[in-house]
Amino acid sequence: MTEFHPNALCFGHEFPASGAPCLVHVEDHGLTIAFAHDTAESRSEAVSFSDLTVSAGGQDHDQLVLKWTGPQGERTLYLKNPDVIRTFRQAAPDHLTAPLERAAERVRQVRHRRRMVWSAVGGIVLAFVLGLWFGADLLVELAVARIPVEWEQKLGESAYKDFLAQQDIVKEGIARSAVEEITHRLTAQIPNNPYKFEVTVVKSDVVNAFALPGGYIVVFTGLMKKADSGEEVAGVMGHELNHVLQRHGLERIVKQLGLVAVVSIVLGDQQGLVGLAKQLGVELLTLKFGREQETEADLTGLQLLYRAKIDPSGMISFFQRLSEKDEGRMEWLSTHPMSQGRADRLKAELAAMPKLSPAPFTFEWAKVRESLGASLLTGK
Amino acid sequence: MKSEILYPGAFPMVRVELAAGEHIKAESGAMVASSPTVDIESKMEGGFLGALSRKLLTGEKFFFQTLRASRGPGEVLLAPTVPGEIVIMELDGVNEYLVQKDGFLAGAESVSIESKMQSLSRGLMGGEGFFILRISGKGTLILNSFGAIHKIELKPDQEYIVDNSHLVAWSATTSYNIEKAASGWVASFTSGEGFVCRFRGPGVVYIQSRNPGSFGNWIRQFIPVSE
Ligand SMILES: [Zn+2]
Repeated sequence: MTEFHPNALCFGHEFPASGAPCLVHVEDHGLTIAFAHDTAESRSEAVSFSDLTVSAGGQDHDQLVLKWTGPQGERTLYLKNPDVIRTFRQAAPDHLTAPLERAAERVRQVRHRRRMVWSAVGGIVLAFVLGLWFGADLLVELAVARIPVEWEQKLGESAYKDFLAQQDIVKEGIARSAVEEITHRLTAQIPNNPYKFEVTVVKSDVVNAFALPGGYIVVFTGLMKKADSGEEVAGVMGHELNHVLQRHGLERIVKQLGLVAVVSIVLGDQQGLVGLAKQLGVELLTLKFGREQETEADLTGLQLLYRAKIDPSGMISFFQRLSEKDEGRMEWLSTHPMSQGRADRLKAELAAMPKLSPAPFTFEWAKVRESLGASLLTGK
Repeated sequence: MKSEILYPGAFPMVRVELAAGEHIKAESGAMVASSPTVDIESKMEGGFLGALSRKLLTGEKFFFQTLRASRGPGEVLLAPTVPGEIVIMELDGVNEYLVQKDGFLAGAESVSIESKMQSLSRGLMGGEGFFILRISGKGTLILNSFGAIHKIELKPDQEYIVDNSHLVAWSATTSYNIEKAASGWVASFTSGEGFVCRFRGPGVVYIQSRNPGSFGNWIRQFIPVSE
């Protein structure tokens, strides 16, 4: 007689409360369950797949629980041997596939949740130590660097769609094609561009433009009406595109959401960020950039204009006018804070660059403005 | 290996007979007496880090001792620190038990003992610390309790509520949730925080009839405070 090597526990009214050790075999039609016996011959029971219900159970919900009612009454079988579980899953007929999947999903969830909680605890400790060590900015950078572009796109896209749903969009006409041309000129000069930029012109008197994480850009007709040339709009676009490319929005979000977000991102729970952003009521649209980010977007924007052979003096003059605090121009300032000598800095930067021979746009700006209903008299 | 409980009741001891070469793992400090053929090795189960984590997280006393009959057959006498019962269980190779850190007294060499991290909520509220012991394998397992030990047998899906500081060991086939005892429960349970475990069968749950924390509080009032 060979030694009895049980691989499962069977529960039933006549068995001890801790369960009867048994040996489960997976067959074509179902299972056979052999029990250890004092006498030489062992007792066994059989059950067909069609009588079984499947769930997950035990301390960590990592055991496969099979229940059925047989001639001996109610039976509950706890399987934790991975080989037996695998064989069972392979042999189980279609009607058990869905419950098996659910049970497996439950195990994954419990494991995932536990890992997440513990790694969050570890991460908080780690982040605390790191925060003391390197300061918060480096942590923000570290966290932002770990966010894949796809997540950023998801984040931006939801805010973008929500916003556009309530707006009057300029879908055609020369204003639309002019903005398209500007965008194309600029994006063609971005090496290894991971973003698929999407630009929408929105009919509104707001003098502003904004860039959402992931490459979603909105230009208001109010801003276009205030512009004296295509080059001026291109200056704003170059600036906005670089807010995206430098991931400024993301940096602000991470800063605003604080340590929780940093920790969850560093530890790989990027998925939670989208929910977290909504939960904490971070208004992506009113996200205010920092002065350092503005300067960075300005300088990189200038370089982009230069590479696209668009006259950067338009950018400089437009920014100068936008920073003059008169009514109707405050919107731009509210999301892109000005710093002292911003235009001067750009001028100095431009002076250091070799002379550029600009290539003009194909559209006529006066006509674009006219199509937007701008009065010819209030150009300045 | 053969074991026998001496003086059953509040102050028991267990005698374990070892064949030549055989060894058992025991809670450090559990050995009372032994034959001269038995050697004590203070082995760090699970390596240095494992032992360290146990020391830090399950209480400093938790180092295993290996008692080995290296120079011929012999016997050892083991006793727990606290007054209370001892139970001897035979593990069948399939049943697994989770044991609260003070509940383990000794185990045969074929019994495997690992520290297991609990879920955070259980660790915070369960009162057993963040680590508990997961004991599996085949052979003798000796547990001890504070007070008498009581076995609760649960049928599949049968539920039972236990004050967490009375827990000793429970089958891995059970599941439990930590719950805040409803206001009415607080009076009936001795747990100060009012947290209880709702167990769900099948399986067995071993509980102890005395609560070590409450006993400590009770005894503290008799200790004179020095000025
Ligand atoms: Zn800006």
